Amino acid sequence: MMDQKNMKFLIIGVLLALVIAIIAVFFASPDPDGLDSTALIASGQKSLTAPATGENISVDAPGHFSYESPMPDYNLGGNWGSMGGIIAMVIGTLLTFGAVMGLVWLLKKRKSSKKPVS
Amino acid sequence: MHIPDAFMPLWQGAIYWIIALVFVMLALRWAKNELTEEKIPVVAVLAAAVFALMSFNLPVSMGTSGHLIGGALVAIVLGSPFAAVFILTLVLIVQGVLFGDGGITTMGANIINMGVIGGFVGYYSFHGLMRVTKNISFSAGPAAWLACFIPAEVCAVEMFLAGTFPLREGLIAMGLYHTLIGIIEAVITVLVIHLIIRVRPDLIDEKVRQLQARGEAG
Repeated sequence: MMDQKNMKFLIIGVLLALVIAIIAVFFASPDPDGLDSTALIASGQKSLTAPATGENISVDAPGHFSYESPMPDYNLGGNWGSMGGIIAMVIGTLLTFGAVMGLVWLLKKRKSSKKPVS
Repeated sequence: MHIPDAFMPLWQGAIYWIIALVFVMLALRWAKNELTEEKIPVVAVLAAAVFALMSFNLPVSMGTSGHLIGGALVAIVLGSPFAAVFILTLVLIVQGVLFGDGGITTMGANIINMGVIGGFVGYYSFHGLMRVTKNISFSAGPAAWLACFIPAEVCAVEMFLAGTFPLREGLIAMGLYHTLIGIIEAVITVLVIHLIIRVRPDLIDEKVRQLQARGEAG
């Protein structure tokens, strides 16, 4: 099982990730990312080195598959404000952590049940 | 550089998904066979940190932002490009399904760009540079930069094939923005590797430790 040293690393590591996640809610740049910026350039809404201008800056292209995520833009939306952002980021960080732990546990369990002597 | 659903025709997304699944299967096999008990906390912590960093858009001027990817970092610390595929796939699933960051039909392409290409470019350029420079910072920094820049340019080509961007403009803009994002990626990657070496040197890939010891001796 996991020793104390690893447990300490695990707890401090996850706390650090949570701190980064919460800082991101307040300090993340609202500007479009590299890919969206390039799309805005391609549609004539932005120049290479200057911010996008215009009324409705949008990179939506209709006609393809679309999916509504429960927490778009890492926020709960509505009247939640930055609290919604914090909750969304904490859920995401812990869920990613949990998913990895769970998946690894599952893979290891299957392996050890198949090959008891390894 | 999370490609949304709207940026790619379905059939192209399906092709990238099929290629991505091959690498995801290999990554699962890596986790099953190569991931030792004592490395499990590192994998889980790195995944949580990669999620936080990938969701944190940093300003890079010119009205553009960018986030870290962490593919090189994960591959170097855990000693396999498949570690990057494993972690990045899980992070991209959480980001796409829960937060709508990156599409569902385009998730295969995103896994290939950031996980597979990022991981392999990061891992092999790090070890190639390590042989020449014998210095972790001078190897991990450029490797992380390449692991950000090359996936961005591949993404520009995919966007050209999808009919979303013209090739030349796409390559120039994606290249320019990710040149800057890559510098942040390089700095953070080097810092985190040194942080892990300082607090828990036993958790870093054995090959890196041996290389570092040889570099210090020589």
